[in-house]
Amino acid sequence: MLVLGIETTCDETAAAVVERGDDGEGRILANVVRSQIAEHAAFGGVVPEIAARAHVELLDGLIAAAMDEAGVEFAGLSGIAAAAGPGLIGGVIVGLTTAKAIALVHGLPLVAVNHLEAHALTPRLTGPLEFPYCLFLVSGGHTQIVAVCGVGDYVRLGTTVDDAVGEAFDKVAKLMGLAYPGGPQVERMAAMGDAMRFAFPRPMAGRKDANFSLSGLKTAVRQEAERIAPLSDADVADLCASFQAAVIDSVADRLDVGLAQFKARFGAPAALVAAGGVAANAALRAALQAVAARAQTGLILPPPALCTDNGAMIAWAGAERLALGLTDALDTAPRARWRLDETPPPAPLHNTRARF
Amino acid sequence: MLILAIDTALEACSAAVLDTAAAGDGFAGDGAAVEIDCERTLIASETLPMKRGHAEALMPLIARVMERAQTNFAALDRIAVTVGPGSFTGLRVGIAAARGLALAAARPAVGITTLAALAAPLAAEGGPDPIVAAIDARHGQVYFQVLGGNGTTLIRPRIGPIEEATRAARFGTPRLIGNAAPLLAAAWPAQAPAPLDIDPRPAPDIAWVAWLGAATRTDQDSARPLYLRPPDARPAAGAALPRR
Repeated sequence: MLVLGIETTCDETAAAVVERGDDGEGRILANVVRSQIAEHAAFGGVVPEIAARAHVELLDGLIAAAMDEAGVEFAGLSGIAAAAGPGLIGGVIVGLTTAKAIALVHGLPLVAVNHLEAHALTPRLTGPLEFPYCLFLVSGGHTQIVAVCGVGDYVRLGTTVDDAVGEAFDKVAKLMGLAYPGGPQVERMAAMGDAMRFAFPRPMAGRKDANFSLSGLKTAVRQEAERIAPLSDADVADLCASFQAAVIDSVADRLDVGLAQFKARFGAPAALVAAGGVAANAALRAALQAVAARAQTGLILPPPALCTDNGAMIAWAGAERLALGLTDALDTAPRARWRLDETPPPAPLHNTRARF
Repeated sequence: MLILAIDTALEACSAAVLDTAAAGDGFAGDGAAVEIDCERTLIASETLPMKRGHAEALMPLIARVMERAQTNFAALDRIAVTVGPGSFTGLRVGIAAARGLALAAARPAVGITTLAALAAPLAAEGGPDPIVAAIDARHGQVYFQVLGGNGTTLIRPRIGPIEEATRAARFGTPRLIGNAAPLLAAAWPAQAPAPLDIDPRPAPDIAWVAWLGAATRTDQDSARPLYLRPPDARPAAGAALPRR
């Protein structure tokens, strides 16, 4: 089956055409992404109204380009998939409405895809992978450990009680005056710095739950940086290196706990899979190898273009759902919030510092 | 000419199918000058008053209207949509729908301003008196446009304080239309003659969106948002620590 996928939940406008064979094998026929980095750079972060304005101007052209590249007519599709959330509602509305319009004209089924589910199912697009496996979703908006037990069957094992990992990277970059988007800049500076110079806390280390907390670490970095300001280039590099080391230690500890919980509840995972923009961080990728080895499972890192937001993952999740006969009506609502499972989010910590 | 018209920019969710040929000889290619019973020329239409929820309601509504019109998307000549000014989210629902339908059906999409669509029925009546179409933009501001009695534009669509819009009193005794008409009337200069008519309709008549869509050129990329107000965003400043 051939599925068009549309992604507009944050600051990438994306469209893709993906084929799913009867044997469950995936093939990307076109994957067009237009990032809005330039539009948001002056603001040091994604501005929802600017993002929504860009999506509505760009999306139809991107869909046409993807269809062209795939060499497919709308009538030849099996379904139209769009990310219906979670995300910035202004953008979600544009993507979902456009998908409904195409579905209506050609009498095709609509699949309203959960953006997080699309990240979770991506490794099955790039290669054969059986359920259950363990997903570590790490981006500017999400930090979650998820047991992927089947299509539509997810159990969240851990999540952040405050900032996402990518959000913490971006905030540290902003503090240091690094260019937007800041995450990759922090990684670049960290590679030149001394990770031992500053002893930052390893948030949540040793806790029995598999949740994350980043806001206290971010505050510790700010206080240390304020203490030694004005900052030299070496100071910035050392702060970035020490911060990144703390994040990675914390992530590794949280994943060790998460994977232990996974084993206890679902048996050995078929793999540990990383997804999300921060999964492109080389130091983190290296740390994940060690985590997977400790858990005696394999590590799957989809190519960076499929880790960050893209249309192919939406199309693929749409195809997986369509193969099970799961479709959605034309009155489906866009959703700013949409959890993968019914596990309630953890309560915020009242004394985070005491736990460091 | 067969046209699907869509409006979700203000406090309604509407769609209609218009066949200009069925309307007889009244149509001369200039929608604003047509003197006909606009409503009766629609093959099918549906308008739901709506403050929010356009994204959920619109596509099933379009499906119903197309079904009632007993036509299909391939038979359409074009798709007309209101592009604002109005609710940013609302107008994007309509434009995303129109452009998605246009792409899927390989038909042109044309944009109509909400202000032009509001003013159109008054302009069609003719008469010497100016028309002020005005939409509440909140925070003491209105989106407005001023037209002569025959529909020629005197002040192009803009956003400004209510007092700025009431300066249209200098063009004569106007007819006010749009959900901000009562706001303008309440702030009307005491020394100027009172407005002739105050029509507080919350959204344009979908029939006029369709007629104006028929009269719009398709060679211009017009199905694009008309916000009139920049996004609420300030450049990041002051967060970075001093560097050596």
